[in-house]
Amino acid sequence: MKVRVRNLDKVSVIDSTGDVDLYSSPRLREAMLAEIKADGPSVLVNMSGVSYIDSSGIATLVEGLQLSRQTKTRFGLFGLRPNARSVLELARLHKVFTIFESEAEALEKIGSVHPFEGL
Amino acid sequence: MVRIAVNSEPRLLNILRGVVRFCARKAGVSHSEADYLALAIDEAAANIIRHTYGGHHDALMALEIRSLPDRLEFILEDWGPKVCEDLIRPRSLDELRPGGLGTFFIYSFMDKCSYDPNFEEGNRLKLVKFLTRKGAGCNNESSSAKSG
Repeated sequence: MKVRVRNLDKVSVIDSTGDVDLYSSPRLREAMLAEIKADGPSVLVNMSGVSYIDSSGIATLVEGLQLSRQTKTRFGLFGLRPNARSVLELARLHKVFTIFESEAEALEKIGSVHPFEGL
Repeated sequence: MVRIAVNSEPRLLNILRGVVRFCARKAGVSHSEADYLALAIDEAAANIIRHTYGGHHDALMALEIRSLPDRLEFILEDWGPKVCEDLIRPRSLDELRPGGLGTFFIYSFMDKCSYDPNFEEGNRLKLVKFLTRKGAGCNNESSSAKSG
């Protein structure tokens, strides 16, 4: 899995590519938590390149969500592939996260997301 | 029947997932269902690495896949301390917290889940998925691999 961070205007975008599993999720966790702790107003995780996610990957995203609530950082996901989306739905987490279809939508709307409640 | 043994290395989980997908597809399982089965086995193997072996990466675990006309059987073996089956239950989805979803996925995607009480050297977990479509199966092929 590859993780890349893009710092845009008031938004950090974390591009993750490949499988997010027990082996690779610590890399996503490190990058994601660092951006949330950096006190930027918004952090987005680009899931469009994630071909697989397991419970450790989901736990990483939940940890990011919880930290973002503490730091009052807007936090969202975008570009979820059907398999990742269905796993989140099964775990009933699709309504907990703020999820956008595309990067364009995420960049447009993340500024109006309440840091605690999502859209 | 396919049998593969790997070290308890997290980076080798993708090998197990690949074998599961291969056998599932060969048994006539859809792509998405094969992905779910791979996820269930991945979670079971990850539990072995994290809990049974305490994160040590130099222990051994084995996956055996039997393709039968009406079902796929997945048998995961480890040689660690005995697992207390009563403690392995899916957690409530009502609580928002990291972790604890692995067992939930195993129970969600498999039809049967049981430990073999007669396997004295460690733990032998048997997971069964009944097939809704009759496929070719991979019980005519036998292969094994050891990595680590």
